Amino acid sequence: MARRPPLRLVSILGALTLVLFALLAFTPAIGAISRRLDSVPEPGPADAIVVLGAGSTRDGVLSDPSLRRFVGGLLLYRRGLAPRLILMGPAYQGSPMEAETRAGLARELGVPADAIVVEGRGLTTRREAALVAQRMGELGGKRVLLVTSAQHMHRARRFFERAGLEVVPAPVIEHSPLAQSPDGRLELARIVIQEGLARLYYRLSGLL
Amino acid sequence: MGDALYLIGLVALTSALVWVAGRRLLGLQTSALRPALRRLLEWVGLTVLLYALNLFAGFALVLLLRKLTGSFVSMYINTDATLVLLSAFQALVFQWWRAESE
Repeated sequence: MARRPPLRLVSILGALTLVLFALLAFTPAIGAISRRLDSVPEPGPADAIVVLGAGSTRDGVLSDPSLRRFVGGLLLYRRGLAPRLILMGPAYQGSPMEAETRAGLARELGVPADAIVVEGRGLTTRREAALVAQRMGELGGKRVLLVTSAQHMHRARRFFERAGLEVVPAPVIEHSPLAQSPDGRLELARIVIQEGLARLYYRLSGLL
Repeated sequence: MGDALYLIGLVALTSALVWVAGRRLLGLQTSALRPALRRLLEWVGLTVLLYALNLFAGFALVLLLRKLTGSFVSMYINTDATLVLLSAFQALVFQWWRAESE
């Protein structure tokens, strides 16, 4: 049987991938890239604090990013930066609604029930922006403190501004740019690349 | 940097042990290491290509499912780290299939 030619181009791609892997896992390069792309916190007074959804498990346990965002929003409320806390997050494949779980926690932590707004219908950031704009129309006010991850903030902010809201970014650190361990850096790289692809997709489809 | 140096040092150490064991116990030739490393590069390259194919097909499939069913399917399902591992398995099978066909 004929011998097949070596996959030279594929091997070159493999070599480049290994170099990239070493750079991402074993050097602080991805932290520097992430810092350049991340939003810088600039919290100030607003009409409401909006905490975007980030997932929960089927038994209602909030994901780590969801809990971090919730705590970030709660701290802003405690600082008196807004009178309302709008908690987002849908039900995922039979799980309890993330927004409801967060609202329960907020009440237990002393936030008055009438200061909490639960909105669990948004499955995408774009939809969440539209729903918050609708809620703000009912509640009054346009200025929102937006709580999401530092990597996601750029895209989320655009959607909320497009929905007619005035956005004060209040990003939380979900994946630290100062990650020291190789797997922490690779996870950060995954998030940065994922967010980059998402921005590209929304730009190409004219949605951002 | 400490974690990285530790991990690289650890793998360098066990690689040296495997090299000695391979030569002394199994009679493997050092000259065969170069083609083995070339196969590693091929496998990594194939994994990247298949991962890109899986990502592209996954995005298209999600868009199609959203259109056909009218229900929401998240794009994020395609960025699950498991897909990298599955792409690596695909690449390995392709490489072995190719080798067995020679």
